[in-house]
Amino acid sequence: MHLKNRLDVGEFAVLVEMEPPKGIDISSMVFVAEKLRSKVAAVVVPDMTAAVMRMSPLGAAMILQSKGLETVMQVCCRDRNRLALQGDLLSAYAGGISNIMIVDGQDLAFGDHHQAKAVDDIDGEQLARAIKGLCQGRDMAGTELLGAPAFFFGAEFNPGLEGDELEQELERLDRYKDAGAGFFITTPVFDPAVLENLADRLDVRQLNLIPTVMMLKSVGMARYIQRNMPHFHLSDQLIRRLQKASDKTREAVQIAREALAVLREAGFKGAMLAPMGWERKLPEVLV
Amino acid sequence: MIIADRKPLEEIQEMVKSCGKILLVGCKGCVTVCNVGGLKEVQVLASILRIARKKEGRPLEVEEKVLERQCDPEYVEQLRDTYDQYDAVLSMACGVGPQFLSEAYPDQRFFPAVNTKFMGGAVQHGIWEERCAGCGTCIIHFYDGMCPIARCSKSLLHGPCGGSADGKCEVSSDIECIWDKIVRKKMEQDRLEDLRVLRAAKDWRTARDGGPRRSIREELVK
Ligand code: SF4
Ligand code: SF4
Repeated sequence: MHLKNRLDVGEFAVLVEMEPPKGIDISSMVFVAEKLRSKVAAVVVPDMTAAVMRMSPLGAAMILQSKGLETVMQVCCRDRNRLALQGDLLSAYAGGISNIMIVDGQDLAFGDHHQAKAVDDIDGEQLARAIKGLCQGRDMAGTELLGAPAFFFGAEFNPGLEGDELEQELERLDRYKDAGAGFFITTPVFDPAVLENLADRLDVRQLNLIPTVMMLKSVGMARYIQRNMPHFHLSDQLIRRLQKASDKTREAVQIAREALAVLREAGFKGAMLAPMGWERKLPEVLV
Repeated sequence: MIIADRKPLEEIQEMVKSCGKILLVGCKGCVTVCNVGGLKEVQVLASILRIARKKEGRPLEVEEKVLERQCDPEYVEQLRDTYDQYDAVLSMACGVGPQFLSEAYPDQRFFPAVNTKFMGGAVQHGIWEERCAGCGTCIIHFYDGMCPIARCSKSLLHGPCGGSADGKCEVSSDIECIWDKIVRKKMEQDRLEDLRVLRAAKDWRTARDGGPRRSIREELVK
Protein backbone atom coordinates (compact mmCIF):
# COMPACT_ATOMS: atom_id res chain seq x y z
CA MET A 1 0.00 0.00 0.00
CA HIS A 2 1.35 3.43 -0.89
CA LEU A 3 2.48 5.61 1.95
CA LYS A 4 -0.25 8.14 1.31
CA ASN A 5 -3.01 5.52 1.35
CA ARG A 6 -1.57 4.00 4.48
CA LEU A 7 -1.65 7.35 6.22
CA ASP A 8 -5.14 8.02 4.88
CA VAL A 9 -6.57 4.79 6.27
CA GLY A 10 -4.66 5.24 9.52
CA GLU A 11 -2.45 2.18 9.33
CA PHE A 12 0.67 2.89 11.41
CA ALA A 13 3.47 3.63 8.93
CA VAL A 14 6.98 2.69 9.96
CA LEU A 15 9.59 4.61 8.02
CA VAL A 16 13.31 4.08 8.26
CA GLU A 17 16.06 6.41 7.22
CA MET A 18 18.87 4.90 5.18
CA GLU A 19 21.91 6.89 4.11
CA PRO A 20 23.14 6.06 0.61
CA PRO A 21 26.74 4.81 0.56
CA LYS A 22 29.74 7.06 0.13
CA GLY A 23 30.93 5.16 -2.89
CA ILE A 24 29.37 2.77 -5.33
CA ASP A 25 29.14 -0.30 -3.16
CA ILE A 26 25.41 -0.66 -2.58
CA SER A 27 25.55 -4.20 -1.22
CA SER A 28 25.13 -3.24 2.42
CA MET A 29 22.27 -0.85 1.69
CA VAL A 30 20.50 -3.43 -0.44
CA PHE A 31 21.13 -6.22 2.08
CA VAL A 32 19.44 -4.27 4.87
CA ALA A 33 16.69 -3.02 2.60
CA GLU A 34 15.72 -6.51 1.55
CA LYS A 35 15.42 -7.57 5.17
CA LEU A 36 13.17 -4.61 5.85
CA ARG A 37 10.95 -4.91 2.82
CA SER A 38 8.03 -6.53 4.58
CA LYS A 39 8.45 -4.47 7.74
CA VAL A 40 8.47 -0.87 6.66
CA ALA A 41 6.10 1.40 4.81
CA ALA A 42 8.93 3.30 3.17
CA VAL A 43 12.62 4.08 3.31
CA VAL A 44 13.56 7.74 3.70
CA VAL A 45 16.65 8.55 1.65
CA PRO A 46 18.51 11.65 2.87
CA ASP A 47 20.03 14.27 0.59
CA MET A 48 23.66 14.39 1.72
CA THR A 49 22.97 14.79 5.42
CA ALA A 50 25.25 17.26 7.14
CA ALA A 51 26.63 18.27 3.74
CA VAL A 52 28.73 15.12 3.51
CA MET A 53 29.13 14.05 -0.12
CA ARG A 54 27.71 10.63 -0.91
CA MET A 55 25.57 8.88 -3.50
CA SER A 56 22.67 11.15 -4.40
CA PRO A 57 19.25 10.23 -3.03
CA LEU A 58 17.88 10.03 -6.58
CA GLY A 59 20.18 7.15 -7.45
CA ALA A 60 19.87 5.40 -4.11
CA ALA A 61 16.08 5.71 -4.00
CA MET A 62 15.75 4.36 -7.53
CA ILE A 63 17.87 1.35 -6.55
CA LEU A 64 15.69 0.74 -3.49
CA GLN A 65 12.52 1.10 -5.55
CA SER A 66 13.87 -1.49 -7.97
CA LYS A 67 14.24 -3.86 -5.00
CA GLY A 68 10.57 -3.45 -4.22
CA LEU A 69 10.76 -0.86 -1.45
CA GLU A 70 8.80 2.33 -1.38
CA THR A 71 10.96 5.41 -0.78
CA VAL A 72 10.67 8.97 0.41
CA MET A 73 13.35 11.00 -1.36
CA GLN A 74 14.67 13.98 0.53
CA VAL A 75 15.44 17.12 -1.44
CA CYS A 76 17.34 20.15 -0.22
CA CYS A 77 18.11 23.32 -2.11
CA ARG A 78 21.73 23.70 -1.05
CA ASP A 79 23.37 21.92 -3.96
CA ARG A 80 21.13 22.44 -6.98
CA ASN A 81 19.47 25.32 -8.74
CA ARG A 82 15.85 25.29 -9.85
CA LEU A 83 16.63 23.55 -13.15
CA ALA A 84 18.51 20.70 -11.50
CA LEU A 85 15.91 20.35 -8.72
CA GLN A 86 13.01 20.13 -11.12
CA GLY A 87 14.91 17.85 -13.49
CA ASP A 88 15.78 15.45 -10.68
CA LEU A 89 12.18 15.49 -9.48
CA LEU A 90 10.95 14.50 -12.93
CA SER A 91 13.59 11.74 -13.10
CA ALA A 92 12.53 10.55 -9.68
CA TYR A 93 8.87 10.28 -10.55
CA ALA A 94 9.57 8.54 -13.82
CA GLY A 95 11.75 6.14 -11.83
CA GLY A 96 8.94 5.28 -9.45
CA ILE A 97 9.66 7.68 -6.58
CA SER A 98 6.46 9.48 -5.69
CA ASN A 99 7.17 10.61 -2.12
CA ILE A 100 9.31 13.67 -1.56
CA MET A 101 10.45 15.24 1.68
CA ILE A 102 11.75 18.80 1.54
CA VAL A 103 14.58 19.46 3.99
CA ASP A 104 16.61 22.57 4.74
CA GLY A 105 19.97 20.86 4.60
CA GLN A 106 22.87 21.86 6.79
CA ASP A 107 25.41 24.41 5.73
CA LEU A 108 28.47 23.27 3.81
CA ALA A 109 30.58 24.19 6.82
CA PHE A 110 29.23 21.08 8.59
CA GLY A 111 30.27 18.69 5.88
CA ASP A 112 33.34 17.35 4.18
CA HIS A 113 33.54 19.74 1.21
CA HIS A 114 33.99 23.02 3.04
CA GLN A 115 35.29 24.88 0.04
CA ALA A 116 32.22 24.30 -2.12
CA LYS A 117 29.87 26.99 -3.33
CA ALA A 118 26.36 26.78 -1.96
CA VAL A 119 23.59 27.14 -4.53
CA ASP A 120 20.48 28.12 -2.56
CA ASP A 121 18.78 29.40 -5.70
CA ILE A 122 15.35 28.83 -4.15
CA ASP A 123 14.30 27.86 -0.64
CA GLY A 124 12.23 24.97 0.65
CA GLU A 125 8.94 26.82 0.58
CA GLN A 126 9.49 27.88 -3.00
CA LEU A 127 10.39 24.29 -3.81
CA ALA A 128 7.09 23.17 -2.28
CA ARG A 129 5.27 25.52 -4.65
CA ALA A 130 7.39 24.27 -7.55
CA ILE A 131 6.45 20.66 -6.74
CA LYS A 132 2.80 21.62 -6.62
CA GLY A 133 3.26 23.30 -10.00
CA LEU A 134 4.90 20.22 -11.49
CA CYS A 135 1.95 18.16 -10.28
CA GLN A 136 -0.34 20.60 -12.08
CA GLY A 137 1.67 20.02 -15.24
CA ARG A 138 3.83 23.16 -15.32
CA ASP A 139 7.44 23.88 -14.48
CA MET A 140 8.61 26.97 -12.61
CA ALA A 141 8.83 28.92 -15.85
CA GLY A 142 5.19 28.09 -16.53
CA THR A 143 5.94 25.77 -19.43
CA GLU A 144 3.69 22.76 -19.89
CA LEU A 145 5.16 19.35 -19.09
CA LEU A 146 4.88 16.22 -21.15
CA GLY A 147 3.08 14.28 -18.45
CA ALA A 148 2.74 15.56 -14.90
CA PRO A 149 3.92 13.77 -11.75
CA ALA A 150 1.61 13.16 -8.79
CA PHE A 151 3.94 13.64 -5.87
CA PHE A 152 3.00 13.14 -2.24
CA PHE A 153 5.32 15.54 -0.48
CA GLY A 154 6.11 16.66 3.01
CA ALA A 155 8.55 18.64 5.06
CA GLU A 156 10.39 18.69 8.38
CA PHE A 157 8.94 19.89 11.65
CA ASN A 158 10.73 20.56 14.92
CA PRO A 159 8.20 20.05 17.74
CA GLY A 160 10.76 20.53 20.51
CA LEU A 161 11.19 24.26 20.14
CA GLU A 162 9.81 26.70 22.67
CA GLY A 163 8.47 30.23 22.83
CA ASP A 164 8.97 32.43 19.78
CA GLU A 165 10.93 29.75 18.01
CA LEU A 166 8.03 27.35 18.30
CA GLU A 167 5.65 30.02 17.01
CA GLN A 168 7.82 30.52 13.96
CA GLU A 169 8.02 26.78 13.42
CA LEU A 170 4.23 26.47 13.59
CA GLU A 171 3.87 29.28 11.10
CA ARG A 172 6.32 27.57 8.79
CA LEU A 173 4.33 24.37 9.09
CA ASP A 174 1.19 26.26 8.14
CA ARG A 175 2.86 27.73 5.09
CA TYR A 176 3.99 24.28 4.00
CA LYS A 177 0.48 22.97 4.54
CA ASP A 178 -0.87 25.77 2.38
CA ALA A 179 1.66 24.85 -0.28
CA GLY A 180 0.29 21.32 -0.31
CA ALA A 181 2.56 19.39 2.07
CA GLY A 182 0.86 16.13 3.00
CA PHE A 183 3.06 14.96 5.87
CA PHE A 184 5.63 16.24 8.35
CA ILE A 185 8.52 14.21 9.70
CA THR A 186 9.81 15.59 12.96
CA THR A 187 13.30 16.07 14.28
CA PRO A 188 14.19 13.34 16.83
CA VAL A 189 11.72 13.08 19.69
CA PHE A 190 12.90 11.41 22.89
CA ASP A 191 9.98 12.49 25.00
CA PRO A 192 6.49 12.01 23.51
CA ALA A 193 5.16 14.57 26.00
CA VAL A 194 6.67 17.19 23.70
CA LEU A 195 4.16 16.17 21.06
CA GLU A 196 1.26 15.99 23.49
CA ASN A 197 2.07 19.53 24.60
CA LEU A 198 1.36 20.68 21.08
CA ALA A 199 -2.09 19.12 21.08
CA ASP A 200 -3.87 22.43 21.65
CA ARG A 201 -2.02 24.01 18.72
CA LEU A 202 -2.01 21.17 16.22
CA ASP A 203 -4.09 18.13 15.57
CA VAL A 204 -1.01 15.96 15.97
CA ARG A 205 -2.89 12.84 15.00
CA GLN A 206 -4.75 14.16 11.99
CA LEU A 207 -1.80 16.00 10.53
CA ASN A 208 0.24 13.05 9.24
CA LEU A 209 2.85 14.05 11.77
CA ILE A 210 5.54 11.40 11.83
CA PRO A 211 7.83 11.58 14.85
CA THR A 212 11.44 10.50 14.47
CA VAL A 213 12.90 7.87 16.77
CA MET A 214 16.64 8.29 16.81
CA MET A 215 18.81 5.37 17.88
CA LEU A 216 21.07 6.18 20.79
CA LYS A 217 24.26 4.40 19.89
CA SER A 218 26.23 5.22 23.02
CA VAL A 219 26.14 7.10 26.29
CA GLY A 220 28.57 9.61 24.80
CA MET A 221 26.22 10.32 21.93
CA ALA A 222 23.29 10.68 24.30
CA ARG A 223 25.21 13.14 26.45
CA TYR A 224 26.27 15.12 23.42
CA ILE A 225 22.67 15.38 22.26
CA GLN A 226 21.48 16.39 25.70
CA ARG A 227 24.09 19.11 25.92
CA ASN A 228 23.89 20.48 22.39
CA MET A 229 20.38 19.78 21.19
CA PRO A 230 18.06 20.89 23.96
CA HIS A 231 15.05 20.81 21.62
CA PHE A 232 15.36 17.00 21.40
CA HIS A 233 14.45 16.84 25.12
CA LEU A 234 16.63 13.86 26.01
CA SER A 235 16.16 13.07 29.70
CA ASP A 236 18.72 12.12 32.37
CA GLN A 237 16.62 9.06 32.98
CA LEU A 238 17.23 7.75 29.48
CA ILE A 239 20.96 8.35 29.78
CA ARG A 240 21.02 6.53 33.11
CA ARG A 241 19.15 3.61 31.62
CA LEU A 242 21.74 3.30 28.90
CA GLN A 243 24.56 3.72 31.38
CA LYS A 244 23.30 0.95 33.61
CA ALA A 245 22.75 -1.55 30.80
CA SER A 246 25.38 -4.28 30.58
CA ASP A 247 24.78 -4.70 26.85
CA LYS A 248 24.44 -1.15 25.58
CA THR A 249 23.74 -2.12 22.02
CA ARG A 250 20.88 -4.34 23.01
CA GLU A 251 19.53 -1.64 25.28
CA ALA A 252 19.67 0.91 22.48
CA VAL A 253 17.69 -1.44 20.24
CA GLN A 254 15.22 -2.01 23.06
CA ILE A 255 14.81 1.74 23.70
CA ALA A 256 14.06 2.35 20.01
CA ARG A 257 11.62 -0.53 19.91
CA GLU A 258 9.77 0.79 22.94
CA ALA A 259 9.66 4.30 21.52
CA LEU A 260 8.01 2.98 18.37
CA ALA A 261 5.47 1.07 20.43
CA VAL A 262 4.65 4.15 22.50
CA LEU A 263 4.00 6.23 19.38
CA ARG A 264 1.87 3.50 17.85
CA GLU A 265 -0.13 3.19 21.08
CA ALA A 266 -0.54 6.94 21.30
CA GLY A 267 -2.28 6.98 17.95
CA PHE A 268 0.29 8.66 15.73
CA LYS A 269 0.06 7.93 12.02
CA GLY A 270 3.56 6.56 11.92
CA ALA A 271 7.14 6.98 13.03
CA MET A 272 10.51 7.22 11.41
CA LEU A 273 13.52 5.33 12.71
CA ALA A 274 16.83 7.09 12.30
CA PRO A 275 19.56 4.47 12.75
CA MET A 276 22.46 6.96 12.72
CA GLY A 277 24.76 4.53 10.96
CA TRP A 278 23.30 1.44 12.60
CA GLU A 279 21.31 0.45 9.53
CA ARG A 280 22.22 -3.17 10.18
CA LYS A 281 20.44 -3.05 13.53
CA LEU A 282 17.15 -1.98 11.95
CA PRO A 283 15.81 -5.50 11.40
CA GLU A 284 16.29 -6.14 15.13
CA VAL A 285 14.35 -3.05 16.09
CA LEU A 286 11.54 -4.02 13.79
CA VAL A 287 11.13 -7.68 14.74
CA MET B 1 33.57 51.43 -5.82
CA ILE B 2 30.03 50.19 -5.31
CA ILE B 3 27.72 50.84 -8.22
CA ALA B 4 24.00 51.23 -7.78
CA ASP B 5 20.96 52.26 -9.83
CA ARG B 6 18.01 54.18 -8.54
CA LYS B 7 14.94 52.04 -8.02
CA PRO B 8 11.98 52.61 -10.33
CA LEU B 9 9.91 55.52 -9.07
CA GLU B 10 6.75 53.42 -8.68
CA GLU B 11 8.55 51.07 -6.31
CA ILE B 12 9.76 53.96 -4.16
CA GLN B 13 6.31 55.55 -4.16
CA GLU B 14 4.80 52.25 -3.07
CA MET B 15 7.22 52.05 -0.12
CA VAL B 16 6.31 55.49 1.18
CA LYS B 17 2.67 55.50 0.21
CA SER B 18 1.37 55.47 3.78
CA CYS B 19 3.79 58.22 4.88
CA GLY B 20 3.08 61.92 5.35
CA LYS B 21 6.60 63.00 6.18
CA ILE B 22 9.86 61.33 5.30
CA LEU B 23 13.58 61.97 5.43
CA LEU B 24 15.48 61.33 2.22
CA VAL B 25 19.09 60.72 3.06
CA GLY B 26 21.94 60.50 0.57
CA CYS B 27 25.57 59.49 0.95
CA LYS B 28 28.75 61.24 -0.17
CA GLY B 29 30.55 57.94 -0.81
CA CYS B 30 30.32 55.62 -3.83
CA VAL B 31 26.75 56.56 -4.72
CA THR B 32 27.76 60.19 -5.13
CA VAL B 33 30.55 59.20 -7.50
CA CYS B 34 28.27 56.98 -9.58
CA ASN B 35 25.64 59.73 -9.61
CA VAL B 36 22.85 57.87 -7.95
CA GLY B 37 22.59 58.92 -4.31
CA GLY B 38 24.47 62.17 -3.72
CA LEU B 39 23.19 65.66 -3.00
CA LYS B 40 21.94 66.26 -6.53
CA GLU B 41 20.06 62.98 -6.75
CA VAL B 42 18.55 63.52 -3.32
CA GLN B 43 17.21 66.89 -4.43
CA VAL B 44 15.81 65.51 -7.66
CA LEU B 45 14.09 62.50 -6.07
CA ALA B 46 12.71 64.66 -3.27
CA SER B 47 11.02 67.03 -5.69
CA ILE B 48 9.68 64.23 -7.87
CA LEU B 49 8.12 62.58 -4.82
CA ARG B 50 6.66 65.88 -3.58
CA ILE B 51 5.18 66.77 -6.95
CA ALA B 52 3.72 63.31 -7.53
CA ARG B 53 2.03 63.27 -4.15
CA LYS B 54 0.79 66.82 -4.49
CA LYS B 55 -0.93 65.78 -7.71
CA GLU B 56 -2.65 63.00 -5.82
CA GLY B 57 -3.87 65.58 -3.32
CA ARG B 58 -1.96 63.92 -0.48
CA PRO B 59 1.14 66.05 -0.09
CA LEU B 60 4.31 64.37 1.13
CA GLU B 61 6.75 66.32 3.21
CA VAL B 62 10.30 65.33 2.24
CA GLU B 63 13.30 66.57 4.15
CA GLU B 64 16.71 66.20 2.57
CA LYS B 65 20.03 65.31 4.07
CA VAL B 66 23.32 63.89 2.85
CA LEU B 67 25.70 62.07 5.19
CA GLU B 68 29.43 61.84 4.66
CA ARG B 69 29.08 58.04 4.63
CA GLN B 70 26.16 55.88 5.73
CA CYS B 71 28.42 52.87 6.34
CA ASP B 72 30.16 54.56 9.23
CA PRO B 73 28.58 54.77 12.71
CA GLU B 74 30.28 58.12 13.31
CA TYR B 75 28.29 59.80 10.52
CA VAL B 76 25.16 57.72 11.08
CA GLU B 77 25.12 59.29 14.57
CA GLN B 78 24.34 62.67 12.97
CA LEU B 79 20.70 61.64 12.60
CA ARG B 80 20.30 60.98 16.35
CA ASP B 81 18.32 64.16 17.13
CA THR B 82 16.00 64.04 14.16
CA TYR B 83 15.48 60.48 12.94
CA ASP B 84 12.23 59.99 14.84
CA GLN B 85 10.51 63.03 13.39
CA TYR B 86 9.56 61.13 10.24
CA ASP B 87 7.18 58.34 9.29
CA ALA B 88 10.08 56.64 7.52
CA VAL B 89 13.57 57.29 6.22
CA LEU B 90 14.45 56.63 2.60
CA SER B 91 18.13 55.99 2.00
CA MET B 92 19.91 56.62 -1.28
CA ALA B 93 23.09 54.87 -0.17
CA CYS B 94 24.07 51.35 -1.24
CA GLY B 95 22.46 48.47 0.64
CA VAL B 96 24.88 48.95 3.51
CA GLY B 97 23.51 52.41 4.36
CA PRO B 98 19.91 51.63 5.31
CA GLN B 99 21.15 48.65 7.32
CA PHE B 100 23.59 50.68 9.36
CA LEU B 101 20.84 53.23 9.86
CA SER B 102 18.30 50.69 11.07
CA GLU B 103 20.84 49.11 13.38
CA ALA B 104 21.48 52.53 14.94
CA TYR B 105 17.79 53.48 15.10
CA PRO B 106 15.80 50.26 15.51
CA ASP B 107 12.51 52.06 16.17
CA GLN B 108 12.48 53.79 12.78
CA ARG B 109 11.73 52.26 9.36
CA PHE B 110 14.39 52.57 6.66
CA PHE B 111 13.72 51.95 2.97
CA PRO B 112 16.27 51.52 0.16
CA ALA B 113 15.84 53.90 -2.76
CA VAL B 114 18.52 52.25 -4.89
CA ASN B 115 19.37 48.78 -6.16
CA THR B 116 22.96 47.97 -5.26
CA LYS B 117 24.56 46.13 -8.16
CA PHE B 118 28.27 45.51 -8.20
CA MET B 119 31.84 46.61 -7.56
CA GLY B 120 33.33 48.30 -10.57
CA GLY B 121 34.14 51.62 -12.15
CA ALA B 122 33.29 54.04 -14.95
CA VAL B 123 34.49 52.91 -18.37
CA GLN B 124 33.21 56.08 -19.97
CA HIS B 125 31.11 58.97 -18.80
CA GLY B 126 27.81 57.51 -17.62
CA ILE B 127 28.75 53.84 -18.07
CA TRP B 128 29.94 51.66 -15.20
CA GLU B 129 31.10 48.09 -15.43
CA GLU B 130 31.61 45.24 -13.01
CA ARG B 131 35.16 44.27 -12.18
CA CYS B 132 35.15 42.36 -8.89
CA ALA B 133 32.73 39.92 -7.28
CA GLY B 134 34.42 40.09 -3.87
CA CYS B 135 35.39 36.41 -3.87
CA GLY B 136 37.83 37.03 -1.03
CA THR B 137 40.82 35.31 -2.64
CA CYS B 138 42.06 37.38 -5.53
CA ILE B 139 43.55 35.42 -8.41
CA ILE B 140 43.72 38.00 -11.18
CA HIS B 141 47.50 37.79 -11.32
CA PHE B 142 47.03 34.48 -13.12
CA TYR B 143 44.93 36.23 -15.72
CA ASP B 144 46.96 39.32 -16.47
CA GLY B 145 44.90 41.50 -14.22
CA MET B 146 41.50 40.49 -15.58
CA CYS B 147 39.00 38.76 -13.33
CA PRO B 148 37.27 35.72 -14.77
CA ILE B 149 35.20 35.25 -11.62
CA ALA B 150 33.40 38.56 -11.99
CA ARG B 151 33.75 39.11 -15.71
CA CYS B 152 33.15 35.70 -17.31
CA SER B 153 29.44 34.87 -17.16
CA LYS B 154 30.32 31.32 -16.13
CA SER B 155 33.30 32.23 -13.93
CA LEU B 156 35.44 29.84 -15.98
CA LEU B 157 39.04 29.51 -14.84
CA HIS B 158 40.73 27.69 -17.74
CA GLY B 159 39.70 29.40 -20.92
CA PRO B 160 36.66 30.48 -22.90
CA CYS B 161 33.56 28.36 -23.38
CA GLY B 162 32.27 27.43 -26.81
CA GLY B 163 29.95 30.42 -26.86
CA SER B 164 32.63 33.06 -27.15
CA ALA B 165 32.33 34.79 -30.54
CA ASP B 166 33.97 37.92 -31.93
CA GLY B 167 35.07 38.97 -28.49
CA LYS B 168 31.51 38.86 -27.17
CA CYS B 169 29.95 36.64 -24.55
CA GLU B 170 27.22 34.20 -25.50
CA VAL B 171 24.98 35.72 -22.87
CA SER B 172 24.62 38.98 -24.78
CA SER B 173 26.38 40.93 -27.48
CA ASP B 174 26.57 43.80 -24.97
CA ILE B 175 28.89 41.77 -22.76
CA GLU B 176 32.53 41.41 -23.70
CA CYS B 177 34.00 37.95 -23.35
CA ILE B 178 36.77 38.49 -20.84
CA TRP B 179 38.34 35.21 -21.89
CA ASP B 180 38.80 36.53 -25.40
CA LYS B 181 40.75 39.41 -23.86
CA ILE B 182 42.78 37.21 -21.54
CA VAL B 183 43.77 34.82 -24.34
CA ARG B 184 44.64 37.67 -26.69
CA LYS B 185 46.85 39.32 -24.15
CA LYS B 186 48.61 36.05 -23.31
CA MET B 187 49.18 35.48 -27.04
CA GLU B 188 50.53 38.96 -27.59
CA GLN B 189 52.93 38.49 -24.75
CA ASP B 190 53.80 34.96 -25.76
CA ARG B 191 52.63 33.52 -22.44
CA LEU B 192 49.82 31.28 -23.59
CA GLU B 193 51.52 28.46 -21.70
CA ASP B 194 50.23 30.06 -18.47
CA LEU B 195 46.77 28.80 -19.32
CA ARG B 196 47.91 25.18 -19.27
CA VAL B 197 48.25 25.31 -15.50
CA LEU B 198 45.40 23.40 -13.91
CA ARG B 199 43.84 25.50 -11.16
CA ALA B 200 42.49 23.65 -8.13
CA ALA B 201 38.75 23.91 -7.48
CA LYS B 202 38.28 27.29 -5.86
CA ASP B 203 37.80 27.64 -2.15
CA TRP B 204 34.54 29.57 -2.01
CA ARG B 205 34.58 29.93 1.75
CA THR B 206 36.23 33.31 1.43
CA ALA B 207 33.34 34.41 -0.79
CA ARG B 208 29.78 34.60 0.49
CA ASP B 209 29.60 30.80 0.59
CA GLY B 210 31.34 30.65 3.95
CA GLY B 211 28.49 32.72 5.39
CA PRO B 212 28.40 36.49 5.96
CA ARG B 213 31.93 37.80 6.18
CA ARG B 214 33.85 39.89 8.62
CA SER B 215 37.22 41.53 8.50
CA ILE B 216 39.21 42.05 11.68
CA ARG B 217 42.31 44.23 11.83
CA GLU B 218 43.72 43.26 15.22
CA GLU B 219 45.95 46.32 15.56
CA LEU B 220 42.94 48.60 15.27
CA VAL B 221 40.64 46.71 17.62
CA LYS B 222 40.71 48.31 21.05
S1 SF4 C 1 39.47 37.22 -8.26
FE1 SF4 C 1 37.95 37.62 -6.66
S2 SF4 C 1 38.77 39.34 -5.47
FE2 SF4 C 1 39.95 39.25 -7.41
S3 SF4 C 1 38.86 40.68 -8.76
FE3 SF4 C 1 37.99 38.65 -9.12
S4 SF4 C 1 36.21 38.49 -7.73
FE4 SF4 C 1 37.48 40.23 -7.06
S1 SF4 D 1 31.52 33.68 -23.82
FE1 SF4 D 1 33.34 34.28 -22.66
S2 SF4 D 1 32.59 35.52 -20.93
FE2 SF4 D 1 30.86 34.47 -21.82
S3 SF4 D 1 30.67 32.63 -20.60
FE3 SF4 D 1 31.92 32.06 -22.37
S4 SF4 D 1 34.01 32.39 -21.75
FE4 SF4 D 1 32.74 33.41 -20.21
